[in-house]
Amino acid sequence: MSVLRQLLLLSCALFCTGLYGILTRRNAIGMLLSVELILNAAILNFVVLGRVYGSPQAQAFALFIIALAACEAAVGLAIILGLYRTAKTVETDRIHLLKG
Amino acid sequence: MSHSAALAATIPTVTSSLAWIPLLPLAAFAVLMLCGRRLGRLSAWLSVAALAGSLLLTCRLAGPVFQGQRLALAWSWLPDTAAQWSMGLAVDGLSWVMLAVVTSIGTLIQLYSIGYMHGDPRFSRFFAYLSLFCASMLGLVMADHFVLLFACWELVGVCSYLLISFWFEKPEAAAAGRKAFITTRIGDTGLLLGILLLAATAGDLHFNQLGAIRMQWLLKDHGGLLTAVSLLIFLGAMGKSAQIPLHVWLPDAMEGPTPVSALIHAATMVAAGVYLVARTFPLFTAESLAVVLAVGLATHLLAGTVALTMTDIKRVLAYSTLSQLGLMFTALGLGAMPLAMFHLVTHAWFKALLFLGAGSVIHATHQQDLAHVGGLWRHMPLTGATFLIAALALSGIFPLSGFWSKDAILLEARHRAPWVYGCVLAGAVVTAGYIFRLYLRCFHGAASSSAAHAHESPLVMALPLAVLAAGAAVVGFVGSPVTHFRLFQLLGVPDAHEGIDLVVVGVSTLMAGAGVWLAWQVGVRHRRLLPAGLRPLGSRLYGWASHKYFVDEGYEAVLIQPFLRLTRWLSQFDHNVIDAAVDGAGRTGWSISRLKAWVDQRVVDRLVNGVAQSAQAWGRALRLMQTGWLHQYLLWVAVGVVVLSVWMRWWPEALVSRGAF
Repeated sequence: MSVLRQLLLLSCALFCTGLYGILTRRNAIGMLLSVELILNAAILNFVVLGRVYGSPQAQAFALFIIALAACEAAVGLAIILGLYRTAKTVETDRIHLLKG
Repeated sequence: MSHSAALAATIPTVTSSLAWIPLLPLAAFAVLMLCGRRLGRLSAWLSVAALAGSLLLTCRLAGPVFQGQRLALAWSWLPDTAAQWSMGLAVDGLSWVMLAVVTSIGTLIQLYSIGYMHGDPRFSRFFAYLSLFCASMLGLVMADHFVLLFACWELVGVCSYLLISFWFEKPEAAAAGRKAFITTRIGDTGLLLGILLLAATAGDLHFNQLGAIRMQWLLKDHGGLLTAVSLLIFLGAMGKSAQIPLHVWLPDAMEGPTPVSALIHAATMVAAGVYLVARTFPLFTAESLAVVLAVGLATHLLAGTVALTMTDIKRVLAYSTLSQLGLMFTALGLGAMPLAMFHLVTHAWFKALLFLGAGSVIHATHQQDLAHVGGLWRHMPLTGATFLIAALALSGIFPLSGFWSKDAILLEARHRAPWVYGCVLAGAVVTAGYIFRLYLRCFHGAASSSAAHAHESPLVMALPLAVLAAGAAVVGFVGSPVTHFRLFQLLGVPDAHEGIDLVVVGVSTLMAGAGVWLAWQVGVRHRRLLPAGLRPLGSRLYGWASHKYFVDEGYEAVLIQPFLRLTRWLSQFDHNVIDAAVDGAGRTGWSISRLKAWVDQRVVDRLVNGVAQSAQAWGRALRLMQTGWLHQYLLWVAVGVVVLSVWMRWWPEALVSRGAF
């Protein structure tokens, strides 16, 4: 089993963990953390495949995604904070403001 | 005509005062229509004053017109069209003569009407109509263009209708108005067709271009077209001037007030036909003049004989008018346009006087049947004397006006066509006969019961009688050697007349005398002059004449009854066929619409509702997905991603072939 395959399997595992986290976590912060995991899986993919194909652009994309993830985390946390202020909870099942 | 005079005649002198001649009576008409009721008796004076103003303006035009100038005033009608469609007024010798006749006689008759119509409930309305008539008649005379002439022609027709049926409470008056309007309409249609034909072929409808048109057409050998146009125009003249066979309306028109009969149906409007032919004389060819001559002569003789048998005072005068108009057309037919105009002028004076005298008699006795009047001279000497002057003038006794005009025509006839001369001489006997029968029966003979309380008319009626009598006596001198034939110079014939032929004068005076003698013997003393063998024939002729040659009955049988039958049949047809068809169409439409309503409700509405219901059902079904449960949504996303990944892994070509990638 080559290193590449191992690394891709690691990335896949990270993605699946994140996906599992999103689908099972009821806590909005937990879901946000799971999204971070998925993003990291994507970054790992970029870096590994960039290394394989010798493309510097992939690393640039990785840096972009890290910056984007930071922004996303900031905006997401701000939304969760706002949500907590109005709904007094971060449990996504309990939030039904829009339900008719 | 000298060269300078000819030049002056071709270049018109612009005169803005022309417009006021018809506008003054028109303004009077407008004022009287709007507030005539409040003006009361003043309305009549307003009307008289307006027409007198026109008379004054006409007199002021005399100087330049006598010098041979043509006065004109044109304005642009229908801007952006060719200059030939400009419209305007123009006064040359011919128009001026008519203007003078209309304004002078019109003023006198309006003055007379103040007395005659006194106490009538529609007093001011009467004067409004008279003013409108005068305005349109003046417009007709001054028009320099066929279109304006035709408009005024129709306007005088309307006024004639309004004034004949002025006392419309009388059914006869209303019927007479209708008859006059419809009968003249036949002629007017001819005139309109003539104008349209001329417009379509020549393109220019100005009267001063007619001579040029004639020259052009004769050069191009279009004489037939000329004849057609002139005969159509003559048809209009026949209607307006009541020539056979369109004469039936004029005797019935006597149902109107007597001043109307005098002004419109004797002196001016009925003479418009003669004026029209004189005005369009360049268009008349030898063939059309022969028709004019035949119609004129037939009317002259037949109407004269009918006048001998009538017992209604005004009807005698009406048939006399027909007969004299026939004489004018005879003169036109002979090609002697100035003579026709001369007779028109003199006839206007003495015939207006005769009518006003008759009106005076009717006003005094309230009778207009010859059987109920008589011996009026003692009670109404002024009326009698003026009537006598007019009767002498009509008979053509020297030196009254009728003598000059009639003898001029006789002389012309003698030179041109001896048989016409004979006919006109016979007409002269008849003319003197009927008018003296009328005069003698009215003013002489046994006094009737109605004469006992007859009285002379008031001053306002007597004055016009006196003035008209003076005019009827002397107006003939304008066409006599005494004034060097001023009238003919005015009409553009400087030296056509050869003076007086003593033979013609003698014969015509003899004929007039014979007529007077016959009137005395047969009409008043009821002598039987015919030999016994000829009496059945004579009485049969009398019967024909007294039934007006059965023309009315003929029209009734040939035109009116078949027309009524046709209308009845058409009414039946309308009711049974057309109405049935229309009803059937309606019923079919109703059935079709019911079917459509059923389809609409059962099919279209159901379709529409079905669409709405299916949308609702879909909405209900899809709503189940919208749980608001975030994890469920994410699960759908994850499942979708997995499905797409699997699909792309194993069947990538399916997506490519569908154009998704």
